[in-house]
Parts: sequence; structure tokens; C-alpha cells
Amino acid sequence: MEVLLGITGKDFVILAASKAAMRGPTILKAEDDKTKQLNEHTLMAFSGEAGDTVQFAEYIQANVQLYTMRNDTELSPNAVANFVRGELARSLRSRNPYTVNLLLGGMDKISQKPHLYWIDYLASLAPVPYAAHGYAQYYCLSTLDKHHHPDITLEQGMKLLEMCTDELKRRLPIDYKGVLVKVVTKDGVREEPFDNNRIVKSA
Amino acid sequence: MMDQLVRQYSRSPHQNEFYSEQEQHDLTEGLPPLSLKFSLPPVANHSAFLRAMTDDHSNPNCPIKLAHGTTTLAFRFQGGIIVCTDSRATAGSWIASQTVKKVIPVSRLSRGEDKPGSEPVPGLLGTMAGGAADCQYWLRYLSQQCTLHEIRHKRRITVAAASKILANLTYAYKGYGLSMGTMLAGVTPQEGPALYYIDSDGTRLPGNMFCVGSGQTFAYGVLDANYRYDLTEEEALELGRRSILAAMHRDAYSGGFINLYHVKEEGWVHHGFNDMNPIFWKTKLEKGEFSNVTSEL
Amino acid sequence: MASIIGHNPHSNSIGYSFSQPTNAGNKEHSFYPYTDNGGSVLGITGKDFAVLAGDTRSTSGYNINSRYVPKVFKIGGDQETGEGAHILLSVVGFAADGLALKERLDAVVKMYKYQHGKPMSVRACAQRLSTILYGKRFFPYYVQAILAGLDEEGKGALYGYDPVGSYEREQCRAAGAASSLIMPFLDNQVNLKNQYIPGSGEGHALEAKKPEPMPRDTVEQVVRDAFTSAVERHIEVGDGLQMLIITADGIEEIYHPLKKD
Repeated sequence: MEVLLGITGKDFVILAASKAAMRGPTILKAEDDKTKQLNEHTLMAFSGEAGDTVQFAEYIQANVQLYTMRNDTELSPNAVANFVRGELARSLRSRNPYTVNLLLGGMDKISQKPHLYWIDYLASLAPVPYAAHGYAQYYCLSTLDKHHHPDITLEQGMKLLEMCTDELKRRLPIDYKGVLVKVVTKDGVREEPFDNNRIVKSA
Repeated sequence: MMDQLVRQYSRSPHQNEFYSEQEQHDLTEGLPPLSLKFSLPPVANHSAFLRAMTDDHSNPNCPIKLAHGTTTLAFRFQGGIIVCTDSRATAGSWIASQTVKKVIPVSRLSRGEDKPGSEPVPGLLGTMAGGAADCQYWLRYLSQQCTLHEIRHKRRITVAAASKILANLTYAYKGYGLSMGTMLAGVTPQEGPALYYIDSDGTRLPGNMFCVGSGQTFAYGVLDANYRYDLTEEEALELGRRSILAAMHRDAYSGGFINLYHVKEEGWVHHGFNDMNPIFWKTKLEKGEFSNVTSEL
Repeated sequence: MASIIGHNPHSNSIGYSFSQPTNAGNKEHSFYPYTDNGGSVLGITGKDFAVLAGDTRSTSGYNINSRYVPKVFKIGGDQETGEGAHILLSVVGFAADGLALKERLDAVVKMYKYQHGKPMSVRACAQRLSTILYGKRFFPYYVQAILAGLDEEGKGALYGYDPVGSYEREQCRAAGAASSLIMPFLDNQVNLKNQYIPGSGEGHALEAKKPEPMPRDTVEQVVRDAFTSAVERHIEVGDGLQMLIITADGIEEIYHPLKKD
């Protein structure tokens, strides 16, 4: 099962996605990137049915980029989220819908505020301060409930992420091969170094 | 029917002067004959029958809805063992009760009723997750066995031995459809503070920390991140309370009241059966936690 | 991976063999020894009394079989008149199982008196009922039971049960077809849930009302209101309301007609 995590703070959004690409009982790749940058200030992480995920993400990415080129302006994270939701809702009513769960993080260029959206394959959309998909929900949301504050710094956010991945290492019975961490700030999207090799001791 | 009852309850005047054959058998065997004790439906596959009638998980339209228990946790620390539970019982999506006592005192044949007062009460504590009746019945059976142990051996039973009685029992009934996930906590001179997990599959595990029930993962999320063996008593009680609160917030099958116990050398101490709602708002408003709960639209 | 780990985390979270999905024997049951006879019961306790009440309609499916089949019984009394009884039992669900259960408990309570020379306490009877129900754990009685009486201190005592014997002492409990209509009403009116003292504070400082034992005439009125309301919205409830009130002076029975449609 794939892990997707998202955390917002004062001036950033962190998205983390597990690096294991799994098919049946096999890990096909241990350095998978389950994120796509949609425009300068929005990033999307995705998980779900093999094939659907990348197809859908690329389709969304292409259309958001097309909008940017045509209008010479960027869609806000909110606009992108609602566009994605609309596409998922349309797909849901088609012959073969996309089975894709998403986290969408971005910085609003105008308000300079971070935004995070939780979207599932049934086209539910919820703006949230922190989010998780898959098994990570069951282990990390309570940790985030306790330790998250809306005005944390990036450093505190990374510490919080570490608490979450520590818990997953402790309790998830499968090796998800660590997480790839990306951060959205007012300066755009960048990959953030993250130590996945820390040994976590169980109590 | 009447004959049977009369036979069962009446005794000849001198019969009590020595152990009867039946009593001797009971003393040596310890366990009642399994297949004779419970009535079974007249079908070949009785566990499938039971499942069709009572398991709302595989059959949401089943006619008999049984009460199920939910989030429980216990952990060992420097000052003893903390045991904490929620109090909700559900039958399907119906909340059957919000006031269930999911911590059941075991040994010394306690009836599980809360006595007022903060004096420690000697004995073990058991927790209840899964089928409410299964836990209530078998933990009561266990306290019978514990009391018999005290009478026979003139010393209190160890947690290891008590947990093994329960585990052997659940293993004997494996496949019959029992549903229970229970923890036994106690402090004995032989073992110090001891904590065991026992479930209806027959699993029996000693350990430092367990969370059991549908809200277990949420409780683990808070507990793991903040747990240390050298927690103070105050910190440990608060961590137990906060971990159950986390599960009540995220798991719909958990809720109601927070039931908190501390097991020490002298016995267990009850630290309250408190409504979660004021505790939740206090936690949110005073500490700024639960930032996902907003009044914004 | 899903096939190995399982698809729904919650189906695995408790991880007991009971909750594991099975392929056999779920859909077809050739042996189905139960039916639901509908109806509802409720119990409320006061300082020195307990009330157990139930409607008297008996249904199977959409048919009304009878307009007077009592669901509340006196336990431990005379076979015909119920005289001398000091415990009340109500059973709702499958009437035949309910009757069998009542007969068994009645026998147990009588045997207890003959052997010990004193009446069985309500607490002991409550535990015994739990054991009786659990004795059929693998072939359950299709019933929801409520037991009522006066405890050792003379206070009203009420015990609610699930079909296999998990039980709890409570102030009030509704069971049966309309329990989902009646129980929330009881929570609000008897345990004063979500009721606050007006003007005692703003927002979260608002002080909750503390439940206190209700006087007998108020309890009777609440019971009548609960049933007349349930009759309006539930097809399996109606015809008559049988109310048994136990006090130190004995058991009193009150019958009230309910709508017959």
C-alpha cells in the first residue's frame, strides 16, 4: 500500500510519497516518484490503480500547463484543485473511471498562503491543514491531530513528517522504501533531502 | 428440567465432607468440558450458522446484532501500567451504549463495579475489545479461576499464568466464532509490572505497549510518538488519556467517556470515567491541537 | 499488494478470525429458526421504583398476529397471578425465545428461593441472566432483554442486555423495533443529554444539566410519550401499552390503549 502525506505550515506545503512501486507481491522499483508539478506553485501527489495514476496525473499536468501558456497566468491552487475534482467527477461517471487518490499542495501567489487539498477517487475534495491517503491515514492522522499547528516553520514541519514516517516504520508491516519529500514555497517546488535510513526502535 | 435442577442443587447431608468425584475432576481438570457447556445449533457447520446470524461485518443484514467494544490501550512505564479505554458499544452503526465499562477488574471475583475512593485495589485488570459478552463472560470466568488459584495455592496468580488460562481457553474455542481482543495488566511480586495481549485467535503476547480495537492505529499514532519508559505518573496518565482521545476523534466506532486506570504495586487505581467532549475542546482551545477542526466554511 | 495485505484496513484492524471474510454459508441458510415479532420495550428507574413498559402488539412481517401479547413479565412469582414476584423481565425480538428465556429465569429464581430460603437479589439475578444468555452463545436467543427490580438499598435497578449476555446497569434503556426512536428521546429527557442551564455561561463554559432521579408520575408520563410517539412512526408498535411498576409495596400493572392502526 502506498503512502501519501501532506503537511502545511506558515509559508510552505510538504508533500511526501512512498518510493516503492508495487505490483502484487513485488516491489518493481524502489525510487519511484509519485508526484507531478502542475505549475510553478502547485504540486500533486497520487496513488491508486496502476496505470490510471500516471495517465491521470499527466493529463492534469498537461492541461494545467496549457492553461498557463494560453493565458500567461497561473491557476491558483484552489482553481487547480477544483479542476482536478471536476475531471475526476467526470471520469467517475464514464465507462472506466480513474481510480486515483490525490493530495494537491500549493502556494497561492496572491494571498501568499499555503493550501492543501485532499481528493479521493470518488471526487471528494476537502481543504485541510494536513492529510494522508491509504494506510498512512490510520497511523498518522492522530499524530498530526496532536502535533500540528497552522503556523509551524518548515523545519518543524519536517520534524512532524519524521514523526509520521517513524510511526509507519514502526507499525506498517510492509517496507514502503522510504518517502520522497517535496516542498512548495513562494519560490516554487523543490525536493527536500530526507533521511529514510534512520532506525526506529519500537517501545 | 425440574429433575435435573433438583439433582444439580440438592446434596445428601454428608456429601460435603469430602470432594465428590465431580469436584475432584473439576479440581484436576480446571476447565469445564467444552462441548457440553454450550448449546449448539442442529446444523453441520455451526460456526457458519453463527456467522450468518450475528456477524454484521460479513452480513450487514444479519438478524442478531451483537454489541461490540472498541479502542483500548495499555502500556508499561517506570511507575507501573496505564490502562485506558473509550466507552462506546456499537451494533452495526447503532450506538448501543456510550457508558460501557471496558476495563474489567479480574481476580478476587470483583463484579466490575466502581467503588468510590482512591485506595488501590489489589488484583489484575482486563480490557474489553471485540464482542462485549465474550469479554465480560470469559474475564469473569478468569476471575473465578484466579480466585480458585488463590485458595489452592495461598498466593495470588501471576499475570503470566492468568493470561495463559485465558489464551488456552480462547484457543480451545478457536473457530467457534468468539471475538475478543483483551489485555491483562497487573503487578505481582514475581514478575513486577506485567502486560499481556490475548485474542480470540489464541494469540498470547507479553509486551510493553498494546492498542486493541478498530481505533488502535490512531491510539498508536499518539502513543508511539510520545512514549518513554521514564514517563512520570502524571505524564503517563495524560498520554493514555490523549491517545484514547485521538482514537475517539478519528474512529467512528470509538467515543463516549475516557476510562483511565493506573496499575501499581499495591493494586489498581481508577482515575476517572470522563466525558470526552469537554476534554476535546479543552485540548483544542488551550493547546491549539486538532487544527483540522475549524468553524471556517 | 492488496491481495496479500487485504483491501480494507478496517477489516483487518481488529484481526480476529471472526471478522475474516468467508466464502461459505453466508447467502443460503436452509436452517433459519428465528422470526422477529416486533414491538418495543423500555425501562426507567427512579429513587425507589423501577418501571418496565412494552407495547402489546405481536407482528410477523407486515401481519399483525395479535393485539395483546405481553412482553413484560414478573419473575419469581405465582404461575398464574405473578403474586410474590420481585423482579421484572422484558424481552423483545423473537417471542418464542423470549418466552423460553422468561420460563428459564423464572425457574432459576424460584429454585434459588427454595434452596436459600430468601429471594434472589436483583444483582444476582442480573448476573444469572447474563450466564443463561451466554450459555447459548453459539446458538443465541434472538432477544434483547431488560431486567428491573429494587437493589439492596431499595433503589430502582435496571439492567440492559445484548442477545448473548453482555450487560450493564443503567438509568434507562429502550429495546426492540423502535429503540432507535425511543432511546435518543430517553437520553435527552432522562439523562438530560445535550441540555444546558440557560445563562450559566457562554459557548463551552455553558454548564450541562445534571440528571436526577425523576418522580414516578413524571416517569409514567415520559413512558407514555415515548410510546405514543413511537406508534406514530413505527409500524410494529401499537395496540396497547403495558406498564409494570415495581416499588417496595409490590408490582403494579397499568394498561393504556395505543392506536390500533
